[in-house]
Amino acid sequence: MTTEIAIETTGLTKRFGSIEVLCDITLRVPTGQTYGLLGPNGSGKTTLIRLVAGLLRPTAGRLTVLGETMPSRRILADIGYMPQTAALYQELTVGENVSFFSRIYGVSSPGRVEEVLELVGLTERADSPVYALSGGMRQRTSMACALVHSPKLLLLDEPTVGVDPPLRVAFWQYFHRLNQEGVTILVSSHVMDEAERCDRLVLLRDGLILAEGSAAELREQAGTSTLEEAFLRHAEAKAELA
Amino acid sequence: MLTVPIAITLLVGYVVRESDTSLKAAVVDETEVAGDFRPGAELVQALEQSGSLAAEEMPLAEARKSLDNGDVEGVAVLRGSVAVTGPPQKMKLELTLDGTNPQDSGAITTSVNRGLTQVVVKELGQALGLADVSPEDLVEVDVSFVHGGEEFDFVDYEAPALIAFFAFFFVFLLTAVSFLRERAGGTLERLMAAPINRTEVVLGYMLGFGLFALLQSLAILLAAVFILRIHYEGNLLLVFLLAGITTVGSVNLGIFLSTFARNELQVIQFVPIVLVPQGLLSGVIWSVDSLPGWLQVISRCLPLTYAIDALRNTMIKGQGLADSGVLLNALALVGFAAFFILLASRTVRQQVE
Repeated sequence: MTTEIAIETTGLTKRFGSIEVLCDITLRVPTGQTYGLLGPNGSGKTTLIRLVAGLLRPTAGRLTVLGETMPSRRILADIGYMPQTAALYQELTVGENVSFFSRIYGVSSPGRVEEVLELVGLTERADSPVYALSGGMRQRTSMACALVHSPKLLLLDEPTVGVDPPLRVAFWQYFHRLNQEGVTILVSSHVMDEAERCDRLVLLRDGLILAEGSAAELREQAGTSTLEEAFLRHAEAKAELA
Repeated sequence: MLTVPIAITLLVGYVVRESDTSLKAAVVDETEVAGDFRPGAELVQALEQSGSLAAEEMPLAEARKSLDNGDVEGVAVLRGSVAVTGPPQKMKLELTLDGTNPQDSGAITTSVNRGLTQVVVKELGQALGLADVSPEDLVEVDVSFVHGGEEFDFVDYEAPALIAFFAFFFVFLLTAVSFLRERAGGTLERLMAAPINRTEVVLGYMLGFGLFALLQSLAILLAAVFILRIHYEGNLLLVFLLAGITTVGSVNLGIFLSTFARNELQVIQFVPIVLVPQGLLSGVIWSVDSLPGWLQVISRCLPLTYAIDALRNTMIKGQGLADSGVLLNALALVGFAAFFILLASRTVRQQVE
């Protein structure tokens, strides 16, 4: 069953104790697009991603991922998650890490691990232990682990932190290819120039949605020439309303 | 930071000072002595006076029962007929020792021999009008063991305890640190984002570390048997089964306790809390029975107490799974394991939410 909406939230709220990290988030992520979560640190981007990944339970509101109401363990097999920190087994090699997660997800096709390693350009380093790798290589390994089971939805939490420009370009080219194959990508970032490459964006601040739309729409709404200015303009507008 | 070292120091003090390591022997007098001389009663008196061994005279059947249920650690049976007049005939003393703890066996043997010297030389010799007589002239001592044997020493007594202790210790520490690293390093979160449930994660840890613990127990056992040449009875497979159950418990305890630590330094601080009391109170060196009552209560709440008792019953007394000495302890260990599994599985999910 193909749905046109990969992720749908209605009034999604998350509280940790007395701290409200996400407040009344309503948005829809269309299938096959790259959807960006933009915002400063502490705006709730990671929390939103973790909710979609099934790691957190909503305090209030509704969350549907790939047609299933979350949390649902079944749908996790179709989701790939790349956390903010590299989150790898340091003493294992690149190949062992990817191979381990491929087995956790029940990937049966032989050669898939090699395929994914080639995708992220780590074939020569497959036998290096993770602790010996640079930051960028760890990010690539982390990406490989998120992709190995060919998920329909990819959740990337600041995937290009510590990654050099050529690799960043390569990543975004790859995201575009995945979109063409029908994979939906939810990516968070606070690097504005990456935001331009997303199909649609949502601007978050302090757990609230400031604005939502394509990069062009957001610039138009704010009357600015860059997305960064648009963001600041929207933030001011929200502050004035409050 | 302060309470733990103080508590441990006090604990050591209480254990050393107030443990009651007195031994008891039963004396059975089956001699026929003419006259007023009663070798049994004299021996009891001599032993009591020496202060190192409590003694009580009782009939043979009762003595045997006391040895079986552990009320006494040795039975001295005096046999033979001694005539006050006429040529001296040898008496026989059959000393049956429990043998589980070689140090106890040694202490009893020494005390009995000393008591015998006093009784035989002073009392009997004088009664017979003999001077300068030594015990061997009048008494023949025959020592036998219920468990173990003359060749058993303190190492044989400690080996089972060490196997249990290390099976518990290393596995607990490794699990706690590894699980902490899973949490802190983010890999646990990656696992939780995958379609596996927390039971599988805990089970994976149990099997992985359980295997490691068994290999470790095997290594200790082989080193002890072939290099130290310890003596042991009983079934090795049973030893592994018991070590395995202990490991299941310690893995889950490690997982549970790692949730209270934020880094490896904090995990290390659990070591004195979890391991030192068990090392002192579960019978590694001081037997549980010798501890003061209130400490015994604590001992009975510790999993290692049951593990050590079970392993000693297997390796020294040669008991099997059907024997209560092993079965009841094994059931207690299973109970602990189940309890720790419950604690661990509740915390695995909670860590992420």
